[in-house]
Amino acid sequence: MAIKSNHLFFQYEETPILENVTFDIQPGQFVGIFGPNGGGKTTLLKLLLGFLKPQKGSLEILGQPPKDAREHLGYVPQISHLDREFPITVLEVVMMGCLDKSFFRSYTPDAKEKALQALTDVGMVDFQNHSFGTLSGGQAQRVLIARALVSNPTILLLDEPTASVDASAEEAIYKLLARLKGTMTILMVTHDLQIMMQNVDRFICVHRQVHAYSQAQVCDHFAHGLYHTPLRKS
Amino acid sequence: MLQALFSHPFLTMSFLAGIAASITSGIVGSYVVAKRIVFISGSIAHSVLGGMGIFLWIKRTYNIAWMNPLHGALVAAILSAFLIGWIHLKHKQREDTVIAAIWSTGMAIGVIFVSLTPGYNVELMNFLFGNILWTSTSDLILLFALAGFTLCTVLIFHSKFQAVCFDENQAQLKGISVTKYYLFLLNLVAISVVILIQVVGAILIIAMLAIPAAIAGSFTARLSNMMGWAVIFGCLFTTVGLSLSYFLNWPPGATIALTAAVFYLLNLARKA
Repeated sequence: MAIKSNHLFFQYEETPILENVTFDIQPGQFVGIFGPNGGGKTTLLKLLLGFLKPQKGSLEILGQPPKDAREHLGYVPQISHLDREFPITVLEVVMMGCLDKSFFRSYTPDAKEKALQALTDVGMVDFQNHSFGTLSGGQAQRVLIARALVSNPTILLLDEPTASVDASAEEAIYKLLARLKGTMTILMVTHDLQIMMQNVDRFICVHRQVHAYSQAQVCDHFAHGLYHTPLRKS
Repeated sequence: MLQALFSHPFLTMSFLAGIAASITSGIVGSYVVAKRIVFISGSIAHSVLGGMGIFLWIKRTYNIAWMNPLHGALVAAILSAFLIGWIHLKHKQREDTVIAAIWSTGMAIGVIFVSLTPGYNVELMNFLFGNILWTSTSDLILLFALAGFTLCTVLIFHSKFQAVCFDENQAQLKGISVTKYYLFLLNLVAISVVILIQVVGAILIIAMLAIPAAIAGSFTARLSNMMGWAVIFGCLFTTVGLSLSYFLNWPPGATIALTAAVFYLLNLARKA
């Protein structure tokens, strides 16, 4: 099992965000995560990344607590969460995926070669010496995907990678993800269900609780208001 | 100026102190500007007044000769760095309030203890507004030792500091302790503030930390290059500022800060 959540519960102060969340994800699956704003998608991602600890229940990634499984994770944040004026080059951003936590070593061996290969894979190698801040939203997002891929993760987590990019950049990102499909487990938070329909194996809806749906079920109820119309559970 | 520089030993010492201070402020200031923690550095710089005031009061009231206001400054700066760092990491939404509170509380404590301290406090005035012309050999050794320490620290930990400054989540995902390195960086700022007080004073220290790095940022896309440029600009500002203060008979710390500000405005005009 790639990810297994069992009766997970998390609250901020006195407000429950996730309640009795039980789901599992098989290795190699491409899963779309959707839900209303404030429904708990970001909290679920933070729990998966080990930045937050479940208050009740359990969450396992590859059979381990999330904090111990971080070396197997690649994470693509929303571009809007980063300071675009920070003085850093594209190559330096990608090499951050090869950071070495030991005291005196900066990067893992062959970090530069791996970073250049990852940039080649996302079609951004010609921009390696450019300032990260000068890239368009779509280009910057591809660089962040390269950073997540550079350490060969088993599970890739993406937080709305097409949120602030134009249509052509969105298409390039989806083509890239389609190429990665099957090579690793992919979880992607998105509001873009129509396009995701072609790529994902299944959806999970996060709205305080988590429900898993097949493509057909989401398609069937698409016009009826996903978050308010009860879906028939699989 | 060159003739004066070599004929007056105190000017030579001041010039060298400016170079050493520029190395430290250029390196540390680049992180401060890139991470957008100039306000935090301001708070640490002003909180040291409280420490200096208390230590000066104890020294004069109880006649403790070895006590130096700079010791108080160091204690206050490190305490502030830990407090602000802890608030940033654990309670981000309260950060700005705490920074402002430390800023004004430090100054308030400083003012109260200065008023309680017997005698005329020329010593404290020098720390407030700086007096690079008073640089002694031991001060110079301390300034260059700090510059060397800062340089070595950055050579070893730059990739970690850069990751913590740019993307805390990514650093955490790669197993880097964000808490440890962020507090380490803030303490580096705190120590630099205390040492640099001698050059420009607590009130004007932000100019030395922020302005050379801010100008350097418009010349390069790399943080490491920004540090190099910031050191060069810092040396330029301290040398030009010191020369102007010599010829115009102006206070050196304020003249250095004003020179930096003029160059900053010129750079803004160049970019506009």
